[in-house]
Amino acid sequence: MRRQIVVRSTSLVLTVFLALCGGALARAAEPITIEYWHINSPTFGGPAVKELVQVFEAKNPGIKIAEKFQPGVYTGLMQQLQVSLAAKRPPAIAQIGYNLTAYAAGQFPHVILDKYRKSDPDFFKGIPDNIMALGVLGGSLHGIPFGVSTPVMFYNPDLFKAAGLNPDQPPQTWDELLRQGAIIKQKTGKLAVYLQQPNDEWIDQTLIWGNGGRPLSEDGKHVGWDSPQAIEAMQMWQDMVDKTKIAANLTWEEGLQAFLSGHIAMCLTTIGRQDHMRKNASGFQVRAVPVPRFGTKPLATATGGNVLMIFASDPAQEKAAWEWIKFVLSPEGATIWTKGTGYLPPRAELATDPRYLKPFFDEAPMMKAALQTFPYARPWVSFPGSRGLEITKILIKAREEILEGKRPAEPILKEASQQASALLPK
Amino acid sequence: MPGRRWRAAAIGYLYLAPAAALTAVFVYWPLVASATLSFYDWNLVSPTWAAVGFANYRELAHNRAFWLALVNTAKAAAALTALTVLVPLLLAVAVLRVTGWWRNVYRVVLFSPTVISMAIACAVWLWMFHPLHGVLNTLLRYAGIQGPRWLSSGSSAIWAIIIVTVWKTFGFNFVIYIAGLLAIPAEMYEAGRVDGASERQLFRHITLPLLAPTTLFVFLTTFILSPQNLFVPTQILTQGGPNEASNNLGYLVYQLGFEYFRVGYASAAATVIFLLFLGLTAVQFYFAERRVHYGR
Repeated sequence: MRRQIVVRSTSLVLTVFLALCGGALARAAEPITIEYWHINSPTFGGPAVKELVQVFEAKNPGIKIAEKFQPGVYTGLMQQLQVSLAAKRPPAIAQIGYNLTAYAAGQFPHVILDKYRKSDPDFFKGIPDNIMALGVLGGSLHGIPFGVSTPVMFYNPDLFKAAGLNPDQPPQTWDELLRQGAIIKQKTGKLAVYLQQPNDEWIDQTLIWGNGGRPLSEDGKHVGWDSPQAIEAMQMWQDMVDKTKIAANLTWEEGLQAFLSGHIAMCLTTIGRQDHMRKNASGFQVRAVPVPRFGTKPLATATGGNVLMIFASDPAQEKAAWEWIKFVLSPEGATIWTKGTGYLPPRAELATDPRYLKPFFDEAPMMKAALQTFPYARPWVSFPGSRGLEITKILIKAREEILEGKRPAEPILKEASQQASALLPK
Repeated sequence: MPGRRWRAAAIGYLYLAPAAALTAVFVYWPLVASATLSFYDWNLVSPTWAAVGFANYRELAHNRAFWLALVNTAKAAAALTALTVLVPLLLAVAVLRVTGWWRNVYRVVLFSPTVISMAIACAVWLWMFHPLHGVLNTLLRYAGIQGPRWLSSGSSAIWAIIIVTVWKTFGFNFVIYIAGLLAIPAEMYEAGRVDGASERQLFRHITLPLLAPTTLFVFLTTFILSPQNLFVPTQILTQGGPNEASNNLGYLVYQLGFEYFRVGYASAAATVIFLLFLGLTAVQFYFAERRVHYGR
């Protein structure tokens, strides 16, 4: 009887033990799923994200990527991210716009990536220092630069022809644009130009850099929207809308629609839209050139795009997120990404490599405009401190007031800069 | 005897308990939490809340965006209340004069905007508002009128949002008016006609007074809900811009809380708005109840 009890209890213990082991083994074999948040809508790189996920999962059967599109571009993603962090359910990895990296790095718990420089030195080879610097703040690596974009000027050659202008010689300076724009307006009755007006100040920073100003003083204590260069550039924009009436003052969606449907001759926006522009221009073949220069001043544009930051606190999730970063920046991943969007690859040599992006660059002439601009790329300045998001909004509101045309640019920009500078960390 | 009364009262409270508990947890507790939070500075993520006293309220009093949003909300509430009370009433009266199959067709057509998702409706309106090739401005051009830049002009953006909100919400009030009109006894109209009353007199002296409870309900719900109905079109069409021209109180609270992550500041704004609407609703009930005929 006693023996029977011992046998039975031993077998019970063994059964339970084996069941537990089996469960653990089954768990170990289950793929780990990580959330990846991005801003790529179906018309803005969404299909490329899906292709990246498909190829990555085929190569890494142990990792599943739950990709989630977040509306409202980088600001919208940031808002959702802050809410998810408050709920303690952040994604493992997310795209953070260059304009928001300082805010995210300063406010959110995340993984500092310097340790991977030691453990994965090969990954960092081929990414230029000036590009990697976009993810460095206070000497630490907070994110890996992923999408790198420049603003370019898309144009409709048919409207140039209709105005009696040579479509092979679009404006290279703002003076030329004003002159040719007036002719386009007069001869075709169409608007000449639209500068993008989304919920950010990327193109505003491009105008300020381009006219020789700085969006933020070097000591980080003063917002540079009240500099003479900024005032001159923004006043020019106001005059194009309000005085000469050659430029459109429209919301972003309206502006892009109007350009693609042939109502506006030129459109300054990101090269990241080139695939969408190429496929959706109605009845004309879009072309692209670098954004106009200010007189003899050298070209200078704000660099758009994002870094990938890891928010996972679980080591297994973090490891999977790092594998994802390595893949999307690998030659294979970057090729899918650049082809599907128009973003430039951080590894510039891929553009001339016949195995990867050379055939694409040869067949996509609009990409040349981005490549020509790339050497002149300046940072898309991110305003530091806990009030950085408010500063951006103050500057967007200032632009909106300027384009309404009720007051000249100078007093609006002086007031906005004063208000914004007061919110910078002392 | 007191024991029985006590037991009866206890049973009453017991029946009330589930609803009272849910209301306490999901309505009153958030109100208290929000009011408490309004005295702190917190960004949703930070582990600590910094006590700031009345600083959030003082800052709010000096915030241009808050006063603009207040004016816009008042403007929109007045316009929405006027339009979504009057338009559905006139339409309901007109539709009930149509007989047969067409009456149902009109009812379906006029109610259909109500069942469309607001986000989808806004996407359609986004296209219709396009200043260069949208349907509205194209029609206005045929009439020789230069249409506005609906969404990017400070003077028209708030009206664009009001138009979408009216279009989207009037169908609900229309159905309520139809029910209200059908409930008026037909013999009252017959008696009026026998006495030689004109159609206008019938409307003025029978329809309007007997419809008063319906109108009160429509008026109150529209007034209270209209600021909330503004949120989605504001978010999709203008994000409160250009330069705050189409902002409203509900959206401002969202901006302060979830765009700038100043949750304490947003709570201060929410508390002020709550008190404002509480007062307005109390005044409305007090005056409106005195002018309603219930047909008894």
